[in-house]
Amino acid sequence: MRTTLVKLAAGLALGAAITTSAFADKFPSKPITYIIPFNAGGESDISARFQQSAWEKYSGQPVVITYQAGAGGAQAWSQLNSIAGDGYTIMGINLPHTVLQPMMKDVGYKTDDLTPVNYFHYTPNAIFVAKDSQFKTLKDLVEFAKANPGAVTFAGSGSNSANHLAQAQFDKLAGIKTTYIPFSGTGPSVTAVLGMQTMAGFNYAPSGLNQGDAMRMLAVAAEERLPAFPDVPTFKELGYDLVGGAYRGLAVPKSASEETRKNISELISKINADPDFRKKMEAGGFVLTDIPYDKMQSFVEKKKAEYEDAAGLLGIKKK
Amino acid sequence: MELLGYFVNAITPINLLLALVGVVLGTIIGALPGLSATMAVAVLVPFTFTMEPASGLIALGAIYTGAIYGGAYAAILVNTPGTPSSIATTFDGYPMAKRGDGGLAVSIATIASVVGGLVGAISLLLLAPPLAKVALNFGPPEYFWLAIFGLTLISALSVGNTLKGLIGACIGLLMSVVGVAVVGGDVRYTMDMQALLGGFDVTSALIGLFCIPVIIDLVATRDPHLKITEGNQGIRLTEAVAVSLREKFNLVRSSIIGTVVGILPGAGGSIAGLVSYSEARRSSKESNEYGKGHPGGIIATEAANNATVGGGFIPTLVLGIPGTPPDAIILGALLVQGIKIGPTLFNSQGNIVYTFIFGLLIATLIMLPVGLLIGRYAYRSIINVPKAILVPTIAFMVIIGSYSIHSDVHDTYVMLILGALAWILERFGFAASPIVLGLILGKIAEQGFVQAYLIGNATQNVTGMFFGRPISLLIIVAAALTLFYPLIAARITPKKALDVELPASAEEEPRPEKPAKYRDPATIAIALVLILIGGLAIAGTSDMSPLGSVFPTTISIAMIVFCVLLILINLLRPAAQKVNTVGQSGVASPSNRRRLLVAALLAAWIIAIPILGLGVASFLGFISVTAVANHEDTSLLRAMMYGLVAAVIVGLFYLLMANVLLIRMPMGLFF
Repeated sequence: MRTTLVKLAAGLALGAAITTSAFADKFPSKPITYIIPFNAGGESDISARFQQSAWEKYSGQPVVITYQAGAGGAQAWSQLNSIAGDGYTIMGINLPHTVLQPMMKDVGYKTDDLTPVNYFHYTPNAIFVAKDSQFKTLKDLVEFAKANPGAVTFAGSGSNSANHLAQAQFDKLAGIKTTYIPFSGTGPSVTAVLGMQTMAGFNYAPSGLNQGDAMRMLAVAAEERLPAFPDVPTFKELGYDLVGGAYRGLAVPKSASEETRKNISELISKINADPDFRKKMEAGGFVLTDIPYDKMQSFVEKKKAEYEDAAGLLGIKKK
Repeated sequence: MELLGYFVNAITPINLLLALVGVVLGTIIGALPGLSATMAVAVLVPFTFTMEPASGLIALGAIYTGAIYGGAYAAILVNTPGTPSSIATTFDGYPMAKRGDGGLAVSIATIASVVGGLVGAISLLLLAPPLAKVALNFGPPEYFWLAIFGLTLISALSVGNTLKGLIGACIGLLMSVVGVAVVGGDVRYTMDMQALLGGFDVTSALIGLFCIPVIIDLVATRDPHLKITEGNQGIRLTEAVAVSLREKFNLVRSSIIGTVVGILPGAGGSIAGLVSYSEARRSSKESNEYGKGHPGGIIATEAANNATVGGGFIPTLVLGIPGTPPDAIILGALLVQGIKIGPTLFNSQGNIVYTFIFGLLIATLIMLPVGLLIGRYAYRSIINVPKAILVPTIAFMVIIGSYSIHSDVHDTYVMLILGALAWILERFGFAASPIVLGLILGKIAEQGFVQAYLIGNATQNVTGMFFGRPISLLIIVAAALTLFYPLIAARITPKKALDVELPASAEEEPRPEKPAKYRDPATIAIALVLILIGGLAIAGTSDMSPLGSVFPTTISIAMIVFCVLLILINLLRPAAQKVNTVGQSGVASPSNRRRLLVAALLAAWIIAIPILGLGVASFLGFISVTAVANHEDTSLLRAMMYGLVAAVIVGLFYLLMANVLLIRMPMGLFF
C-alpha cells in the first residue's frame, strides 16, 4: 500500500514511466524483514547476523531480523505462503528440517510448498568430547562402542534433527550401537558434553569454537577439513562416508514473482562473495555453499532423496 | 589496579548515556506485558554493529536489566507479570497494591532489583570462571528435580486448598506437553490444529491467565481498581528502605539464588524467582502472610530475577553458552563484532569484558533513581486514570502483547480463551498460578526426566541417575522441606493455616465466609469435566512413543485421582443452603452483563484484527471497551475526550510496535 502511494507521488513529480522502471531496477527500496524460524542465538540467527552486517553494502537498505520460533521451525514455515510475496518479507529455511518434518506428520506445510531461493551455507555435524574424556580419537570411541553396545551416549540438539540423523548414519557406517540423548537446543547439548553428562556429542562444528580447548572435536562431517579446525580429520579421511549437517538458506512465499526470487537469490550470493563475510563465517566454523535459485530444484531433489533414505534409520516411515 | 582502569573506560559520557537510555527503554518495554527483554535486545543489536564493542554491550546489558526490572510494575499494579520472570511478584505485589500499598510495593521492588542486579554483576566481575563450573555440574536429573522443587511451591501457595492447587498444576503440566516434543519428537495433543504445533506459548498463556480475569472483573463495579488510602500516594521510599533492611537476609539469599539459577542455561528468571520465593516463604516467621501481600515475597522475586542477569552472563562469557534467551542474542552480537568468546576471553579481551561488566554495574545503579521516578509516575497514573480509560488500555496492552510474541493472531486467540477459562476456574477456587507453574516447569521436568532416563538406561544405572547424585539429593531435600513444611506449620498453628487462601482467589468481591464447607455442585462439575479430559489424554497416548507417553499418562492419572478425591470430599459435605456462591445477584445482574459484554468485545476485537488491521480494530475495540467500563454519566465533551485519548494511545503504541520494535503487522483492510 505504502509503496503504491510513494510511487504515485513520485510519479506525479517525475513522470510515471521513468519512476516505475527506476523502482523496478532498484530492489529493495525499503528494509526487508528476515524471519528466523527459531529462537535467537542459534546458528540460524548468528549466520543471519553476519549477513546483516554486510547487507546494506549490497542492497542499499538495512535488513530487519525477527524471530518466530515454534515447533522446530514448523510454525513459521507453515505460515510462509500466507505472507505477501513482494520480497520484503523473507524467511530462513533449513535442511533436513523441511524434509523430515512433513514426512513424519502433518505439520501444516509440505516440502514442495516452500520456495527456497538460496542455500548459502551449512554447518557440518561433528563429534565432540570433553577435554578430560577417555576418547582421544574417533577410533577410541568406536572401539569402546563395539565393546559396550549402547553405552556411548551422544548429546544432540532435538529429536529427528540433523544431529540425530548423523548419529544414526554413523552407527550404521561404523557398525556400532550408541544412544542418542536429545536436548532442547545446541546450547544445552554442548553444556551436557562439557559437563560430561553424556560421553560425547553430535553437534555442529561452530559449537567447537566458543569452548576453546575445553572440548575436543574428534571428526567433522565435511568434504574437506575446516579452515577453523585444521587439525580435525573429516569422517571421510577416517573411512566413514559421512558428510552433512544443517543447511541454511532463504525462502520466499510461493506468490513471489520469478523476478523477486532471482533478486533475493542474487543479493544473498553477493553477500556470500563478500571477502569480509566469508572470513567471518569460515572463522566461525560455517561452510559456505553457493546454491542460487537456478540450481535450487536439483539440489533440493537430491537432498530429499538422501534424507528419505536416511529417515528409515530413525524409524520414520514416509506418510 | 587493572580493574580500576577498566572502570574509567566504562564511565565515559557516551557509555553513561547509553546505560541511562537503555535502562529507561528496557524498563518501559519490560513493564508492558508481552513485550519482552528478548525482543528489546534483538531490535537493538544492529545498532551496536557500528558502536565500540564495549559501548554496544553496555547498551544491550542496560536494556536487558531494565526490562527484567520493569516486569515488576505490571505484576504489582495490574496482576500481570510483564515478563515471566516476575510471576511470583504478583503473589504479594498485587494484594499490596489492592490494599493501597502499591507505591510502597514498587519502591521495594526497585530496591530489591538493584541489590539483586548488583550481586549478580559483582559475581560476574569476581567469580565468573569458578561459577561457570556450576552450570556444568547440572545435568538432566538436576534439571528434573529443580522443576519438581518449583512445583512443590504449589503446596505452599495453596494451603487450605491444596487439592485444587494440585489439580491446577496438572492442568498446566498437561498443557506443557502439547505440540511437537523437542525430546522424543512426538506430536502430542495438537488436535490437528497447526496453531498448537508449537504448544502453548508461555507468555501468551501468562498474559491470558493473569490479566483477562482482572479485566473482566474491573468492568463489573465502579470501585476504583486499587484502593487509595489518604497520604499513601507517594513512593514511600523511607518505609521501603526500612522494610528492605528488615528483610536483609531474604534479600541477600534471594540474590544468591538468582545468580546461581541464572548460571544454569535454560532455567531462567522465572524459576529463580519461584525458587527464592518459596525459600523466603519457608524461612519467614510470617509465612502465613505470604500470598496476602507480604513485602518479603516481592523482595525475594525481584532480587532473584535481576540477579539472573549477571548470573546469566557467566556461562555466556566464560563458556560461550547463553544462560538466557537475551544472552543468546548478545552472544550473537559479540560474534559478529569478531570477539571470540570462551575461557580466554577474560584475558585476551579483558578491556571489552571488564568495561562491559562495569557498564552493567553502572546501569544497575542508574536503575534506582530511574526506577523510583518511573515507578512514581506509573503508580500515580494507574490510580488516577478513570476506569473508562484504564480498562481499555490494559486490554489493548494484552492484545498487542500476545500478538507481538510471534506476530501471530493465533497467540492472541489462545490468550483470550485461556483467560476466559481462568476466570471461570478462579470463581471456583482454582487459581491461575499453579496452572502457570505447571506450564513453565512441565517442559523442563519432562525433558530432564527423559534425558536422565535415557542416560541411566545406557549406563544401566537409572536409580543412581535420579537418586545417586549429590546436587540432586540436595534439591530433593529442599523440595521435600517445601512440600511438607505447610503440614508441619499447620500442626503447630492448626487454626490459622486453614484461613489462608490462594492469592488469586483471595481478592475480588467478598465471597461467603467459608464456601468450601458446603458441597459445591459447580466444583463437582468441573472435576468431572477434568476427569473426562484426563481420560481423553490417556486415550490419546496410544500413538505416542513409550517415552513420549510416560509424562502425559502420569499427569493424567494424577489429575483424575485428585479430581475423584475432590468430588468425594464435596459429596461428604452437607448440601449448601443457598443455591450457589457465584451469581449471587443472578446471571443477568448488570455487573455480570458487563463482564460478558467485555469478554465478547475482546473476542470481536481480536477477530477484527486480521480483517481491519491492528490499528483500526484496536481503536474501535478501545472505544467500545471504554463504553462498557464507563460507570459515570458522560457528557459529550467527556466522550470526545475519551475518543481522543483512545486515538492517541492506539496511535502511539502502533508506532512503537511497527516502527520502533519493528514487529510485523497483520495485513488488514486498513492499517
